[in-house]
Amino acid sequence: MRAWRALLFAIAAAFAALPAAAETPDAALAKLIEDARADAAAPAACTAANLDRLVRIFCESRIRPGVREYYPLFGTREGEVRSGYDVDVARALAKRLGVEPVFVRVNAASRIPLLAEDRIDVILATMGHNTQRDGQVRFIRPHYYQSETIMVGPRALAVKDWPDIAGRTVCVTIGNGSNAQIVSHNARLMLFDEAGVLPGQLRDETCALAAQDDSFFDYYFIESDFAARFERKFGFAQVPWGMAVARIASSERLARALDLMSQIFHRDGVFLEIARANRVSLGFLERQQAVWKRPECNTETGSENPACVLPALNADLEPTPFVGRVVAFEKWTKTVTGIELSLPMLKTMPAWSLFKDGIVNSLILVAGALAATLLFALVLGAVQSSRSILLRWPARAITVTLQSSPVVLTLVIAAAVAHALFPYSSAVAIGAAIVALGLMNGSNAGQAIAEAMHTLRAERGSVQGAGGIPTRELLGRAVSRSATQIVSFLINAAKGTPIASFIGAPELLSALTDITSFASGRATTYSLLLIFYVVVVVIVVWFCGKLRFWLERRQAVT
Amino acid sequence: MIGKQFSADFFPDLLAGMVVNFEIAAIALVVGLALGALLGLMRLSGGALGAVATSLIGLMRAAPTFVVMFFLLNIIPRDAALFGVGVAPSGIMTVALSLVPYSASYVADNGAEALKQLRAGSPLGALQFLPNITRAFFVLVMSSSAGAAIGVTEGIAVILREAVLLPSLGDKLVLFAVGILFFGITLQAGFALMRLLQRYLGRRTVRDEPGV
Repeated sequence: MRAWRALLFAIAAAFAALPAAAETPDAALAKLIEDARADAAAPAACTAANLDRLVRIFCESRIRPGVREYYPLFGTREGEVRSGYDVDVARALAKRLGVEPVFVRVNAASRIPLLAEDRIDVILATMGHNTQRDGQVRFIRPHYYQSETIMVGPRALAVKDWPDIAGRTVCVTIGNGSNAQIVSHNARLMLFDEAGVLPGQLRDETCALAAQDDSFFDYYFIESDFAARFERKFGFAQVPWGMAVARIASSERLARALDLMSQIFHRDGVFLEIARANRVSLGFLERQQAVWKRPECNTETGSENPACVLPALNADLEPTPFVGRVVAFEKWTKTVTGIELSLPMLKTMPAWSLFKDGIVNSLILVAGALAATLLFALVLGAVQSSRSILLRWPARAITVTLQSSPVVLTLVIAAAVAHALFPYSSAVAIGAAIVALGLMNGSNAGQAIAEAMHTLRAERGSVQGAGGIPTRELLGRAVSRSATQIVSFLINAAKGTPIASFIGAPELLSALTDITSFASGRATTYSLLLIFYVVVVVIVVWFCGKLRFWLERRQAVT
Repeated sequence: MIGKQFSADFFPDLLAGMVVNFEIAAIALVVGLALGALLGLMRLSGGALGAVATSLIGLMRAAPTFVVMFFLLNIIPRDAALFGVGVAPSGIMTVALSLVPYSASYVADNGAEALKQLRAGSPLGALQFLPNITRAFFVLVMSSSAGAAIGVTEGIAVILREAVLLPSLGDKLVLFAVGILFFGITLQAGFALMRLLQRYLGRRTVRDEPGV
């Protein structure tokens, strides 16, 4: 009886142990690798078409991780020496597979295209996992790191939260998913291709604020000089980082192997060890280690368990109702002309909204600048023509001052005064730009009117002595006589309106810069912008031609 | 005392920044002279070539500098290369190239006028081209301040980065006044030079007239 009990216990224990052993990620990984190695060893397997990516790695005894070369603490290169957290994770993966890593340089813009072109096997390049990218690549779960975007600026700069950045310029990298959030708080963006240039731009004061992943700035805050001058203002947009492989069937076994390795690396503290060696933040990795040690997560299927893995950042932007037609038009254009047209401003609701507002604001700005130029020209022209020295000389002083100030500086002064009087808003920025453009061009046109007035008085004086014609009528004649100059400065005012984006006026240039900071298609976008403004100026030139004709005819009649 | 509230490096940096403004204007003028002369001659030749040149000059006149600058900045890839040589323009070169449509159309218009004067037997009238080009150069110096928008460290960029650190509007206005003074002196000196040139040419005209 005792023997029977012992036998039953042994059988039960064996059955209990068997599934447990099969469910560990270690066992699943070992089997996956063993099978792939066996496939690679089969005759002619390595020359087969559509070779499985994991099998190919064993065939070639190498894995090609795409890593960054200019991202301190994560991926840097000095000569032939590569270092950083991402690089060491890639080395650990290759070691576990028993192959050599062959690194390929990528950056934020090239990493997904290089994977699609099969020039790399896996992306390990500070890539945030968001829902937009989910459709382009297969992300490895669990995530190997997490970052958030932080706003960094000089300690002396009083910026604490979102309300403080309205109207300020923030330096960012193109394609950063958090750019849309910055734009929505009325900040202006200065775009750069590589994050590596941002600290330099902060140091030489080209940028007063820069937004980038905290992981990126970690390195610079280690430097005492940088930490003494700059500080983290606030953080936002937490995003998990994922390794990624191509989203194709032949990559699935490689993806599965990497999923399992990522689980094991978290559980065993491999990621933590690598992070410590590279002096990157440990908080996320410590929390993840606790997660992956939990029995329900430490299983073969743990990477598919929503209770264990983190969700992707939801970066999907609401599409426009006509996005299908826009995409069809882009394809048609490529087929017919071979030109790759990209119209991001028509594809998502936030971009479409920015685009529409940009066009309306640009037209308001042009109309306002023309009206203001005309108004200031008449006022300053009349005052400069005054016989009273108390009126004439201050007006001349204003004109000389405005002529001596570069356009950007005049705009900034107008914006500074406007923001001192009113709280920041788009309307205030547009109003300030209209006043500045009107003053700059109106002062020059006013000077022309005053000069015409002077010649008219001289002519009248030489013919019949001073007086005879009321001043108001004389001024009208002076305006007609200086028609060419007035028209030239009106055109100049219209041409100058895009510069209003410099002080945060949300006209079309500003709107399209915002759109391209989080969407693709820069070439098409800026080409359309140029066409838009050239057309607007051509229309203004036509309108001004009519005005000049009317003024000159009026002069001929008088 | 004015300027006491500014950082120690401000004035040297401002002068260095203004040198960049002059550099940008000089590049834009040289390229504009070459392109404008070519377009001007094409236009004078008449026919289809002349019509093409006239249209191009019209478009260049209508193109806003600031938009052209952002267009160039975004349309030319940072790693653009021609026969293995990198051709992506620097920030300074981008600003200078964005001013070329203005300078080239100005040169084409004034060059055509000068050529007309020359053909009409008035070489000194044609020489008025020189003060006009001087005027264009100083307009270009002032316009080059647009470079501040793309991170070029020219004079206005130096003033603006100093302004960010000043707490009160009063201090900022003093700083801006200093900027206007520096740029104003430059501009007025340029216009004085232009007037001197005009007077000199005027004197030459009077002296060379028969019977004088």
